[in-house]
Formats: sequence, structure tokens, C-alpha cells
Amino acid sequence: MNENLHLLESSNDSSPIIVLSWWLSGIFFLIIVLLILYVKRLRNHLRVNAKIEAKYQEEYESCLVTYLYSGNEEEAFSPEQLLIISELKESIVDPFKRKIIISTLLKLRNEISGEMGESIDKLFVKMGLLRYSLAKLRDKKWDVIAIGIRELTQFKIMGVNKLILNNINHPTKEVRKEMQLYLVHLYAFKGLEFLNVLETPLSEWDQIQLLEILQLNNDSQIADIKPWLKSSNDSVVNFTLKLAKLYNQFEAKDELIKLLNHKSEEVRINTISALSHLNILEAKNILKNSFNERSLEEQITFLKMMENVHENSDKPFLLEHMHHENFEIKSLVMEILKSINFEESDLYEVETKKTITA
Amino acid sequence: MSNPKKIVLAEDNSVLSLLLKFRLEKEGYKLLIAVDGKQAIELIEEHDPELILTDIMMPFVSGLEVISHVRNKLNLQTPIIVFSSAGQEEIVLKAFDLGATDFMSKPFSPHELVIRVKRLLI
Repeated sequence: MNENLHLLESSNDSSPIIVLSWWLSGIFFLIIVLLILYVKRLRNHLRVNAKIEAKYQEEYESCLVTYLYSGNEEEAFSPEQLLIISELKESIVDPFKRKIIISTLLKLRNEISGEMGESIDKLFVKMGLLRYSLAKLRDKKWDVIAIGIRELTQFKIMGVNKLILNNINHPTKEVRKEMQLYLVHLYAFKGLEFLNVLETPLSEWDQIQLLEILQLNNDSQIADIKPWLKSSNDSVVNFTLKLAKLYNQFEAKDELIKLLNHKSEEVRINTISALSHLNILEAKNILKNSFNERSLEEQITFLKMMENVHENSDKPFLLEHMHHENFEIKSLVMEILKSINFEESDLYEVETKKTITA
Repeated sequence: MSNPKKIVLAEDNSVLSLLLKFRLEKEGYKLLIAVDGKQAIELIEEHDPELILTDIMMPFVSGLEVISHVRNKLNLQTPIIVFSSAGQEEIVLKAFDLGATDFMSKPFSPHELVIRVKRLLI
């Protein structure tokens, strides 16, 4: 008892800083206890939610599989299927259940094709989920709009392209990307018409994704790429140059040659590479005549092109640049000279060695 | 009536497993479902199935490891059909090197899968 009194007295006598630190320690301790209780409660809540979600998911998965095997060839929807649809329709009113239903449909839609895949697309529309996806397109949040467009892509909902095209120059690149993927997934080359009006840059990753989808689509009706080669958007021109290479667009030869004088160096380099791929010999003379005015990168790309399209008549041009100050150019020139005139190759070999040891 | 032929299906997508189980059981096969490669190996060792269907990307043990285990450790010549996704072409080649019999690229048609299964289990 005396000891406690002594502690109390000593605390009263202690300096204000010590009292303050005791108070702060107490407050922090209380905050930590409250936070631990909050995290524990949150964790329990998430666990319960996950359990409920798993239960519903299992139920909807079995509903979906039953739906897919209840179809018949005579009717668009069999009576069993209509029964399942009406049950699911009741569930989609609840946003939590709706989210699970959509994720269940997508889980299977991404893995299967053919009649069953198409049957899932029909189910999506018949259940009324299309209405919710379209509503997402009008949302203020960019992520909701992007999810809405992605759902329309995954369930192959055609005919809403005009609505989606409203987002062509959306300030958020994720929305623009989803819009582009929708158009190309569903309309292949025809979907690329958005390039006519695209003002924002098309990133390298976007370009890769679009090319991959086009290749998976196997669409034989290749669009006319010429207008895109004249685009004021450099990224569109660069993307079109990739298309020209991939789909051997010889028809665009004149437009490609004009691009050799484009204001962007990147475009000019990609153009040389595309012309080289297409073996357009006319470009060689143009580039030979303007070789000295071109940047180092362009010169190197041109010489790489010449490796495949060289002739005997190129010898004077090559000899002129045999002692170029840039090593890569010098080495490429000698390589080409060597393959043009095999008898003189020893001479170039000696020159190459000299360059390396210099 | 003869015993139904056993098929081990290793697939981590529960709804796809359910769909294929439904379809292949309708065709008279007995399906043993594994949610990952580890479970698939256990089922193969325990039941010695006539056919193995495996996804490539799975948790814990991948489809490639399942093929390697079947061919090199268990020394079994059970036909194996591999499911791959777009962009996994190189992994598919590895799967063939390890001894896979056939492959199907996702998304695939369940009807086509049934045809391939029937062809392998004649």
C-alpha cells in the first residue's frame, strides 16, 4: 500500500515531459488495441464473405453447367434452360450475387469456344446482364467504364460499337485500351477504323496486343492501310508500318516511300525496316542518294536493308563509306562488300581487322 | 458390363473441370478430378488411369512436371493431352519433348476434346 502511495507521489512530482510521455504511451496503447480489434473483425468479415462467395460460386457453377447441357437443337432455349435463367435473374438484382455470376460465366467463357461458348454469350444477354454492362459505360469512374467494355468484349456483344467509340479519346489510357480491344476482338480489321480518328498515342504494349488479336482472328479481309500511313498521330503510323510488314502490304508502296521524309525519326527508321522487309528496291536508290543527310540510326537500318538487297552497282556507294567514322556502319559496309565481291573479300577482311585493332 | 475407362483431369478452373466431368461421364468414362499437379500425381499413382488430361499452368506442380513424372518416374506410356493458352507455344513444345501425346489450345471446344479422347481410347 505504502509502495503504491510512493509511486503516486513520485509521479506527481515528476516533470511534465515524463507525465506527457506516460499519457502518450497510454493513448498509443489504446489505439493499438483498437486497431488489433478492428483488423480481427475485418478479417472475420472477409472470411465470412469468402465462404459465402465460395458457396454461391459453387451453386452458380453447377447451374451454368446444367444450363449448358439442357439445351436442344429445336429451340433457342429449352424449358429447363428458361427455368435456370429465371432463377438466375432473381439473383442478379443483388450486386454481390451479380458479381459472382459474371465472374463464374467469365471463368468458363475464357476457356471454351464453339457452341457452348456462344451459349454462354446468349445466357449473358438473356439474363439481362447486358443492361448492367451498358450502364457501366455511363459511369463517372474510369475503372467501371473499363470493366463494362471488357465484359462486352468477353461476351462478344456486337452492335454497341458506336456507344463504345464515344471513349476513343478518353483521358484514361486503360479505357482507351479496352475500347480498342473490343473493336479489334469483335470486328478484326474493320475494327481498326478507330485509327482514323485516334488522337492519343497508341503505346507499344497496346500495339502488341492488337496485333496478337488480329493474328488470332485469321481475318482474310485486310483493311486498306494507306489512310493510316498518312495519320498525324505518329504512333498510328508506326503501328500501321508493323501491319504493312506483317501482312506484306505491297499495295502501300508509294505511301511507304513518302514516309522516308517523315518528320519523326522513329517513323523513318520503321519505314526503312518495312521497305526492307517488303524488298522494295525503289527505296534503295532514294536512301543511297540521301544517305549523308540521314541520322546514324537510319543509316544503320538502311545498311541492314542493303545486306539483303545489294547489287554490283552498289559497290561505289559502299566504297565511299568504307571508312565511315562509325564502327557499326563501317562493319556493315565491309560485310556487304564482301558478299558482293567474294574475290576481294580478303582485302575487306584486312580492313575490318584494322578497324577492330585501331 | 466392363469397367469404365479412367481419366485423370488436372485443371485448376473448377467450372471447366465440372463441365468436362459432366461431358466425359456422359460418354461413359470415369473422371478423377485434381485441382493441381500434386493431386494429379497422387491420383495417377493410385488409379493408373487410361488417359491424363492436364492444364499446363497449375499451382504447386505444373502440367510439365506431371508429364515428366508420368514418363520418367512412373515409366508409364499413358496418353496425355495438354491444355495450353495462347502465348504458351514454347511450353507446348517442351510438353511434347517430355512425352505429351496431344494438345488443345484454350479456349477449346468440349466436343472436340471428346473426339480426341475417344480417338486415343479406342
